[in-house]
Amino acid sequence: MAIKYLSADQLPAFLSSLAEKTRVVAPIKTDGVVQFQPWAAGKDVELDVLLAKQSPKEFVFLQSETFLKFGYSMAPAAEDGEGEAESASESAIPCETVDVEALNEAPAQVIFGLRPCDARGFVQMDNVFGGYGGFYFDPLYSARREATTLLAVTCREPRSTCFCTAIGGCPAGHEGVDALFTQVKDGFAVETFTEKGEAATAFAGLGDASDAQESEAAEVKLQATGKVDVPFALEGIRDNLHDNIGGEGWHDLCMRCISCGTCTYVCPNCYCFSINDELVESTGERYRVWDNCFNPLYTEETSGHNPRAAKSNRFRNRFSHKFWYYPDKYDSLLCSGCGRCIMHCPTRIDIREVLRVMGTPVGTTPAQAIAAPAAECAAESTAAPPALPVEATRAAPASPDGKEA
Amino acid sequence: MADNGKTRLTAADVVAGASTARAGKLGGNPYLPEIATAIEIIQETPNIKTLRLRFDDPAVQESFSFLPGQVGQLGIFGVGESTFAITSKPSEKEFIQFSVMKAGEVTKAIHNLSEGDKVGIRAPMGCGFPVEAWKGQRILYVMGGIGSAALKATIEYTLEHRSDYAGITILYGATAPENFTYQADIDDWQKRDDLELVLTIDRDCDGWQCDVGLVPHVLERMNPDPANTIAITCGPPIMIKFALMSFQKLGFTDEQTYTTLEKRMKCGIGICGRCNVGPKYVCVDGPVFSLAELKELPDEL
Repeated sequence: MAIKYLSADQLPAFLSSLAEKTRVVAPIKTDGVVQFQPWAAGKDVELDVLLAKQSPKEFVFLQSETFLKFGYSMAPAAEDGEGEAESASESAIPCETVDVEALNEAPAQVIFGLRPCDARGFVQMDNVFGGYGGFYFDPLYSARREATTLLAVTCREPRSTCFCTAIGGCPAGHEGVDALFTQVKDGFAVETFTEKGEAATAFAGLGDASDAQESEAAEVKLQATGKVDVPFALEGIRDNLHDNIGGEGWHDLCMRCISCGTCTYVCPNCYCFSINDELVESTGERYRVWDNCFNPLYTEETSGHNPRAAKSNRFRNRFSHKFWYYPDKYDSLLCSGCGRCIMHCPTRIDIREVLRVMGTPVGTTPAQAIAAPAAECAAESTAAPPALPVEATRAAPASPDGKEA
Repeated sequence: MADNGKTRLTAADVVAGASTARAGKLGGNPYLPEIATAIEIIQETPNIKTLRLRFDDPAVQESFSFLPGQVGQLGIFGVGESTFAITSKPSEKEFIQFSVMKAGEVTKAIHNLSEGDKVGIRAPMGCGFPVEAWKGQRILYVMGGIGSAALKATIEYTLEHRSDYAGITILYGATAPENFTYQADIDDWQKRDDLELVLTIDRDCDGWQCDVGLVPHVLERMNPDPANTIAITCGPPIMIKFALMSFQKLGFTDEQTYTTLEKRMKCGIGICGRCNVGPKYVCVDGPVFSLAELKELPDEL
């Protein structure tokens, strides 16, 4: 696949050409906070801040989504005549009817400026909503996902909280990415991976990248990959979480958790939801909303019994879900290493610490960083071994290969 | 797209190309309930009602089938849905039946229904009991209170296929005589000579002629022979806990012992996330579990 080039000053024109046909969503800074928002001409795309506060999952898996509308009515009386109305209502058995309409809007949209970890989050949710492994197919999410094109941007400067390479990702990963934009001098090197990516980048302003631009992009990726911390070894985590299910460590780790659920809302992979009804007089709707497994009400039953009444149980559930329960069902992980949960936790709970403590074999002390970068990243850095950060190089025996890729 | 709520929506209806997505169960919109009408409501106990419901679409009613032990989402539009065991006979073609104890918001609204009122049903869901695999064995039902609802369809199935099973015993406990559900069925069961029925109440009262005592105690007094026997229990969590201990004391293996679980649920189709016990979802992997399967799971019952 030939690499294309888009100059930075052509970006607004490129997005405008997309916006003529579809909704365009991009990271935009408002009041000092970068969030994914619908883009319109004149708005600056913010790419210097690595991660928008929230992932763009809310554009595919909506925070609140009405999926049924319904209305009650009484079946028309047999006689319509004014004078006979009273006798008619006495003789006829009142017959209630309810009309139900299923909603499923899925407007075409392009999300520009998400990071490879955000895109990988969609791939992981695709398993859940797409019926992977013979489970149910969710038409609400799947329709939106089908109508969405992901144009990701390579992470040039990974943050200290990033750990994508530890779990098989990469700052230039293209799992779930339709086209990848890598920032080079005065513009972007553009690679497409899918037909959707081809279609979205069919823009006159895109030319072929020069050899220099191609090698600069390769260098950017290589440098970025080397900057990502590898804070724990993925291998064995699932089995160790299983063995540590009754471990004291859960209690200690969750002590400062305040069950706020922020980690679940900023997570690009967390997908739990609740379903509620609203009724005003005779019409109403049924909608689903994001939920969070740290809320005690999440599992509390009508009788008052709560299978996860203890905070440590709810805490254990979230991490075990990501690295044990979900992998058992979907042969993948429910984490892409973006680190948002670390950045936004008001009590500084750190998933890396949790995995280091509970993901090591029972009775051993937490290991230092010992994983190697994932195979995909390793393959892209053929020329020279990635310059690992000091902490990582200090680490003991590297596992032979990127295990999870 | 939706025609009186009866047409199932598929992803292909809304997005060209989505038909190539991985095929899923039900093939359409699993969140869209079928409309049904209450045709008969039976007051079983002071706080339990049995509802007989008929799907408004005759084709749906005709094709509806389920396995004993499977559950369904019964909902009232504007209030919400909850999960209940299907309590009709699996051979019943005229209606689908649920037995509901008044407890929370949805069940209160269900108790307020009158004959002719409309509900939404998504069913069947989950796995049933492996009744085929149990052929040739004796079946021992141990149930308490509303737990009888979860076993009702299975009891009916094994009675309808009585010759396939070596014996059937039902131990049924309630707090007081007026709290037994399915009184009409109990009368029938008492008349049968191919079925052993033991009824017990927690505390003795005037006119009561059957056993007195908590279900696990009575079970141990009965001292059933575990040989070639499947033990199934359902009831309040505390009763299940002690019944399982009694089974163990009596020599039943984990593979011979079954229960059916209840959890707070929303989607009912293994997506929304809340009814998990470790890596298993009660709604799709259960609600039926053997004790051997339960012992593999975290202690989050």
